[in-house]
Amino acid sequence: MTFEIGIMTFGEVTEDPVTGRTPSPRQRVRETIEQARLADQVGLDVFGVGEHHRTDFVGSAPAILLAAAAEATEHIRLTSSVTVLSSEDPVRVWEQFATIDLLSAGRAEIIAGRGSYTESFPLFGYDLRDYADLFREKLDLLLKIRERNPLTWSGRFRPPLHDADIAPRADGDTIPIWVGVGGSPASAVSTGRLGLPMALALLLGPVTYHEQTVELYRAAAAQAGHDPATLPISINTHGYVGRTSQEARETMYPYFAKGMMENNHQRGQGFPLSRPAFDAQVSPGSGLLAGSSQEVIDKLLTYHELYGVSRALIQMGFGGMPQKEHLAAIERLGTEVAPVVRRETATLAGRTA
Amino acid sequence: MIATSAAGPALRVVVVNGSPNRPSKTMGLVDVILATLAEMMPIQTSRIDVYELGPEFTGVVEREQVSPGVEAALKLAENADLLIAAIPVFRGSYPGMFKHFFDLVDQYALAGRLVLLAATGGGEHHALVLEHALRPLFGFFQALTVPVAVFAAAADFDGTILLNPRVHGRIQMALTDVADLLRTRAPATAAH
Repeated sequence: MTFEIGIMTFGEVTEDPVTGRTPSPRQRVRETIEQARLADQVGLDVFGVGEHHRTDFVGSAPAILLAAAAEATEHIRLTSSVTVLSSEDPVRVWEQFATIDLLSAGRAEIIAGRGSYTESFPLFGYDLRDYADLFREKLDLLLKIRERNPLTWSGRFRPPLHDADIAPRADGDTIPIWVGVGGSPASAVSTGRLGLPMALALLLGPVTYHEQTVELYRAAAAQAGHDPATLPISINTHGYVGRTSQEARETMYPYFAKGMMENNHQRGQGFPLSRPAFDAQVSPGSGLLAGSSQEVIDKLLTYHELYGVSRALIQMGFGGMPQKEHLAAIERLGTEVAPVVRRETATLAGRTA
Repeated sequence: MIATSAAGPALRVVVVNGSPNRPSKTMGLVDVILATLAEMMPIQTSRIDVYELGPEFTGVVEREQVSPGVEAALKLAENADLLIAAIPVFRGSYPGMFKHFFDLVDQYALAGRLVLLAATGGGEHHALVLEHALRPLFGFFQALTVPVAVFAAAADFDGTILLNPRVHGRIQMALTDVADLLRTRAPATAAH
């Protein structure tokens, strides 16, 4: 598997902690497509849009942003990151991503997840008590839709389908469906059993945080009769590629701290992330993909070595990173980081083959 | 109270369920314990849901005051060959209803009886409730608690289905440790 590197965004509409300015939603959607275009031009492999149903994000409808990105790009793969499948109709999800697949000549992908936020459940009339059952059933339906058409299917949470013709079909043979996993052993096991690619999310913590997750995933896959060696794993984390180590930290810190304050709560409210705490999260032993190009290369190779990941999606816009810095980081990721990581991982693969 | 019976001489297993929820992760954990045990020896299982014993249970403070139904539940627990004490962690300990049930159990009824401790909680940081709250309670009763107690965190479950193989392994270990002892406690081999 060639190592793939990409970026992801939720379309953050956050007040800039440095300038005090808040981008308009219109500005942010345009900037999001501009990020996709540049990522494509500098040769990155994947562009992801995540789903949040709040006014401080424009990404409540990732499929529509990805459709716009399809028109602005040529080669880059377009994925949700993630689709909160539990509160979606899988039929509609398939229709939308199959349409993106046609628009982009086969570049659409889906990362199905439970979502780290639950605001979509009441919006679409779902009960949080059904959290686990909803995801299990909807993933089952989505996979069946991908597998065959017409489809007969029945479940608990939507009316049955009788010989239903679900169109369009994928541009090529199929649309990749990954499962987003936050690290719970149960998610790793259920994803492994299904033999689906796993997109690992890591917010904070040591780079080794997911060792058990990956071990459980591979063991469950093997036990269910899937070859773990053929199953790709991706790491999705925050980061920033700076001009130098110091510049990366100086630039990323105020925005990341702001994003954490607004999104990562204890006792029902945000808490300040100190600079030493942030610096620790950027150190070689921690998970954030941040630093100079060389530091990010080293960290990606560490992830590859530890977990055998063959893909990394980096979220660089958290906390309202300004577009100018965001684009500069995308360019460095595509031109300075990605070529080295692809070459190094290919060499490693050649050595072990 | 739910009772299922196995054919022939069987270990009488009684689950005291401290969870108010239905279905619950706590009973998801117990399901795996019972299934694992059933592969080792014939068992007959009963379950007491303390949250469903009602006002006749919650309204009394003395054993003498309990209704025949609650008395039967207490007797069932007191005569178990293996008692499984299963709780969700509430406010850092066992739930109040669970403790209330054992406040009504006879002081010496559980002496020398085998008790397996099981708990579920939001995260691993709750695991020591087994050792710091549940085991001392059965220490008071002079019960023979199984050395390995079983804890599962929310992340080990898909809904209420226990998926983490490490917890399955721990259950296997807890039961294997006392399997020979359990066999001697079944009614067919021990005079009851």
